[in-house]
Amino acid sequence: MSTLTIELTVEDVLLPPEKIPVVSPTTLLKKTLEIMGDFRLGIASVVNDEDKLVGIFTDGDIRRMLLKEQKPFPSLFADDIVRHTTKSPTTIGPEVTLVDAINVMEEKEIWDLPVVSNDGTFVGLLHLHPAIKSVMKK
Amino acid sequence: MNTMTPKLITVGKDKNVRPVKIGGTEQLAFIGGPCAIESRDHARMMAEKIDIICNKLKINWVFKSCYDKDCRSSPDSFHGVGIDEGLKILDEIRGDFGLPVVCDFSDAAWAPATGDIVDLIQVPAYLCRQTTFLRAAAKTKRPIHLKKGQFMSPWNMKNSVRKIEAAGNNQILLADRGTFFGYNMLINDFRNFPIMMETGYPVCFDASHSIQMPTSMGDISGGQREFIPHLVRAAGACGINALFIEVHDDPSNALSDANTVLDIQYLEHVLAHAKATHKLRLELLEKWGEDHVHLDD
Repeated sequence: MSTLTIELTVEDVLLPPEKIPVVSPTTLLKKTLEIMGDFRLGIASVVNDEDKLVGIFTDGDIRRMLLKEQKPFPSLFADDIVRHTTKSPTTIGPEVTLVDAINVMEEKEIWDLPVVSNDGTFVGLLHLHPAIKSVMKK
Repeated sequence: MNTMTPKLITVGKDKNVRPVKIGGTEQLAFIGGPCAIESRDHARMMAEKIDIICNKLKINWVFKSCYDKDCRSSPDSFHGVGIDEGLKILDEIRGDFGLPVVCDFSDAAWAPATGDIVDLIQVPAYLCRQTTFLRAAAKTKRPIHLKKGQFMSPWNMKNSVRKIEAAGNNQILLADRGTFFGYNMLINDFRNFPIMMETGYPVCFDASHSIQMPTSMGDISGGQREFIPHLVRAAGACGINALFIEVHDDPSNALSDANTVLDIQYLEHVLAHAKATHKLRLELLEKWGEDHVHLDD
């Protein structure tokens, strides 16, 4: 089991963009919440027209936003999502081993890592649960 | 709160007029004139008088007057001189005075002809979210004066902006003309300016319509024009890029908006205050930096 895990890389187990919430910087907050709900995932990746990761928006961001922003919901819903994103999230390369990636998750206490290639292109998301599932299937 | 420098738009489609730059770090621009084109002679006389005042104060301005007043409260009210006659008069004023002109349109089918003549095309507040209408305005390729509907929140104006952008036009001036406060009453929410500024486009304060009391007098609108100077100073301090005021030489006998148009004898007074507050705000920002006071911003 441990041998298999060591051999696996992030690329082997990542969730591709079509299987996760991906929005543009100008997607409205309300639309972003709907997309996160559709995928049943607590993280949206904010990606620009050039496929570069601009930031991430998570369930935790929603909690913090509700306490910080005291404007009415219709106003919040109309915000561009980029206004509320974490701009420099921890990311990981597709070539990194799964073990190293999980170590990063443990160290940072996060369960999702956006996957970004060397040239900065967004390629997907390493989400802990499906990653473990992939390992188990192997 | 984002108080970034807004986009610069240029009003003036050809070399026959003095171009008016709105936004960026430009000085305050003025947009004004009689609400409706009452006659060729009256429109020319008003353009000449306002031009003298603006030249004296060194304020760049755009002549405004409309050929069709489709939003009048009563079927008996003056409706306008009509599109053909109106556009002819506006074109003449452009040529003879070298002034850029602005006019609204109340039927999407009128947009192409209107856009052929005017330098800035205006979307009436009541129609500010109609997709067909916004698309028609965008297709003229003219800068668009987009008024926030009295029923609209400032943050939802972004949807109208995006409709215009989707139709290929990104020259927009967003205006506040008051917000309904119950029936027959408007109020100015000055948060509207910084909120609408977040679109990145310049913003305008429509002073004469802000003091309107819509259809408050049975079949016509009332107004409290005594508040124009106060509201103008407040808007100038908030960071507007343009000021819009409808002006008349004889308000009591104006054929449209008689209860809200500013008597031209007070225009110099109001514009001087507007220019000074606008300038003072820029000086304060220069000295003290942007208006970032939000926690963690």
